[in-house]
Amino acid sequence: MLHEPGVLAVFADPLQAARAVRAAHEAGHADVRAAMPAPFPEVMEAMAQKKSIIGAVTLGGASVGICLGLWLTIGTSLALPISVGGKPVVALPAFLVIIFEVTVLIGGLSNFLGMLIGAFAARRKSFMPHDPRFLRDRIGVFLPGAGESARVLLRAAGAEEVRDVA
Amino acid sequence: MSAAIAERMRSLDQTTEDALRPPRYGWAALVAVSLTCIAIGVYSWSLIIRFGMQYTGLNRPVGWGVLITDFVFWVGIAHSGTLISAVLFLFRARFRTAVYRAAEAMTVFGVMTAGLFPIIHLGRPWYAHWILPYPNQRHLQINFRSPLVWDAFAISTYFCVSAMFLLAGLMPDAAALRDGSQGLRRRFYALFALGWRGTAEEWRHHGRAYLFFAAFATPLVISVHSVVSWDFAVSIVPGWHSTLFPPYFVAGAILSGVAMVITLLIPIRRAMKLESIITLDHFDMLSRLVILTSLILTYSYSTEFLLALRAGPGPERDTLLYRATGAFWPFFWLMVLGNCVGPLFLFFKRVRGSLVGLFFVCVLVNVGMWLERFNIVVSSLEHNRVPFDWGTYHPRLVEIGITLGSFGWFFFWFLLFLKLLPAISVSELKEDAHHAALHEAAHAA
Repeated sequence: MLHEPGVLAVFADPLQAARAVRAAHEAGHADVRAAMPAPFPEVMEAMAQKKSIIGAVTLGGASVGICLGLWLTIGTSLALPISVGGKPVVALPAFLVIIFEVTVLIGGLSNFLGMLIGAFAARRKSFMPHDPRFLRDRIGVFLPGAGESARVLLRAAGAEEVRDVA
Repeated sequence: MSAAIAERMRSLDQTTEDALRPPRYGWAALVAVSLTCIAIGVYSWSLIIRFGMQYTGLNRPVGWGVLITDFVFWVGIAHSGTLISAVLFLFRARFRTAVYRAAEAMTVFGVMTAGLFPIIHLGRPWYAHWILPYPNQRHLQINFRSPLVWDAFAISTYFCVSAMFLLAGLMPDAAALRDGSQGLRRRFYALFALGWRGTAEEWRHHGRAYLFFAAFATPLVISVHSVVSWDFAVSIVPGWHSTLFPPYFVAGAILSGVAMVITLLIPIRRAMKLESIITLDHFDMLSRLVILTSLILTYSYSTEFLLALRAGPGPERDTLLYRATGAFWPFFWLMVLGNCVGPLFLFFKRVRGSLVGLFFVCVLVNVGMWLERFNIVVSSLEHNRVPFDWGTYHPRLVEIGITLGSFGWFFFWFLLFLKLLPAISVSELKEDAHHAALHEAAHAA
């Protein structure tokens, strides 16, 4: 994992953390990172993150699922064309159930894997100092490469604790 | 205000950690009872494996009995978790937060239990893999037009999606527990946390993924019990062959599932001292769901009977009248009492507000729902189209033993879950605590 120097601030109140994030953006810090025990809407909004690509990954997975379901049902029926009770070999209404289930299964799996890979990639790409408190009752805001002005800014926003990360 | 929010979040963490230490002797005693039931179930199943299906009460014409009843019952139990997690999430019903984790776990364990029954009912479980589509030397392929194959796909998909949904919700809470523990416990929670650190980037992906899970799970929950109903409705057996079955089964599944959630939550809340988190308001909202689904079910029962009676003399009418007046008539009327009459008492706030009354009504619903499935499965097969094809069925001890074993299996996993993982979603409760603090501050101002 990458390790970057910077300034880390610890907040008890999500509103103050959101204020700090906005102030940092206004002061010209394009790269502001945060960690928190829950996705507090104020902080998430202030972070102004790009929309996650999970939707596209899930859609891709679901599309693969539809194709797989079609291939499985129609393909195997055509490969082994056994007539059962005079019904058509390719009976789409009956196959729709299987196609739907396979779509949901592959879509769900790609959604889950997409989330895990996205989270893993984020951890590899951008360093955020870990503190167990960020999973419990505190919000951490980290400004990589920042200096004294950032420390002042974070304290002014109401940080309980501001420290340098070497 | 900041100190108050931090204090609330800390108190939630403390409550969760305390909840992971349920009363030692009570817990151990319940696990012992569950393991005993499992042993009885395994022994009963071993009799079927060694000596064949003759050890069950199944005969001609009643080829489906208690084992299939159990299968449908457990699939139904598995429905509430997804309803409470996914459907209520999409509707932004905030009351779900305190109760959905336990309901989701119940879903996963319910499907794990249900999935055993088609295998047990095969009689020769070593052929169970024949239901899967795979290239084989026999050049045989499964029949995709068969509802039994639909079932295999639907149940396995439901299990996978429910398990992933549960895991996605658990990650942040498991990470908090991981950082607060040591040794083997730490490694155990690390497994469920999947490297979670709570960064905004992780929450960004998590929020979207959770929304898509909810969007997938909602039609899935409807499809699964519809598919189970087609096991019956696609056949031409009177009492089964009805277009009403899918919505009727889905409503019944939600009713039984929510009733089971309430039945389990009432003792859990007390044993784990979660009164401050799972409040009477939560039970009140769940009770309303019980009333709604019970009314839908009552409407379905009435429609089924009225249509059959209006259709005039014929096998459909005879079978349904047999269901109400035949060999198992007490089961039918107990079902009506449990599923239609009992929940009406929840219209009274005094009954809804009393946990004893609510518990009693929900246990009655659970009994009623099991009997409903028994009535559908058995009475229709006992009383088919021609008198030549009529017969009777009496469950044997082996089937009762396997049913007991299934309850043991379900409760064993559920008890392990309560001991090892947080039964409430702490991260979402923290978000709620923050909202509540904001509201209080705005109100005070």
